[in-house]
Amino acid sequence: MFEKIKVIPCSGMGKVYGLVARESTLKVIQELCPNDSSTVCLAYIVTGDQEAKELIEGEKCITLDGCPSMCAAKNAELAGGVVVEKVRVIDSFRKHKGAKPGTATELTEEGWKIVDEIAGEIAEKVKLLSREG
Amino acid sequence: MSINMVKIGVVSCSGEDCLGGTISRLATRKMLDEVRPDATVTICLPLFLAGGVEERGFAEKFPTISVDGCSKTCAKRATEKYSGKVSAAIDVTDLIGKEVAEAGALSTRNLTDEHKAMVEKVVSEITAKFDEVLKTAQRDLVSKGLAMIGSGSSGGCGCGPK
Repeated sequence: MFEKIKVIPCSGMGKVYGLVARESTLKVIQELCPNDSSTVCLAYIVTGDQEAKELIEGEKCITLDGCPSMCAAKNAELAGGVVVEKVRVIDSFRKHKGAKPGTATELTEEGWKIVDEIAGEIAEKVKLLSREG
Repeated sequence: MSINMVKIGVVSCSGEDCLGGTISRLATRKMLDEVRPDATVTICLPLFLAGGVEERGFAEKFPTISVDGCSKTCAKRATEKYSGKVSAAIDVTDLIGKEVAEAGALSTRNLTDEHKAMVEKVVSEITAKFDEVLKTAQRDLVSKGLAMIGSGSSGGCGCGPK
């Protein structure tokens, strides 16, 4: 049975990058690749519940992290996920020097543009991985 | 040292897979941004595993309120598993209903007035618990002749101050 690619953001609470990671993920799983991707609550993975592990163990994952702690990537790997791509949101911001994306609560128009850009890139990766099977 | 500087941790699940997760996140952010900005701190829940000793000491250092978006109560359980017992726990499903809370995840781009009302409801509940926890913490510190000083701005996490 085809398993959807798991896209897992950190959803960091302290800075805008966490929100950008979260919103990019939602755009991919809900709008761009709903048939090829899904997410798993990172908080659920963190609990270490067997059921949560089963959702991700051996599954291809793309993680999105907003800070160098790389919480999404680390936790997905600890739970047995196969992290094929570790996206660092901060890298996308290098292309947008001086951008004012908003806050950890709310994004500006500029922030949403960056979300759309990151989501588009991830969607391409999801499609590629899905074709690989 | 002032007892006014006691800080309370508010830790949300921020679940990505259901509406309740978005509501828990927004309500927690509202505590940090508007309701009790000088007395609220938070931590990214996944840092309990991805971080170090300092992160795992969060619930020891700050009386903590967990805010969960669904009945799996991941924020409460993960905080207690890795850091320490929470002082109060909020389950969004108790406030907006299980079916609503466990519906599909919501982007803040699609936030409606109805969703904002849900956030307000959760914020009211957090605030009530927050003030109780704060009062208890202040009383404890006074009785011990100690003061717990929170450092940095609210909203701290691995990303640094907001």
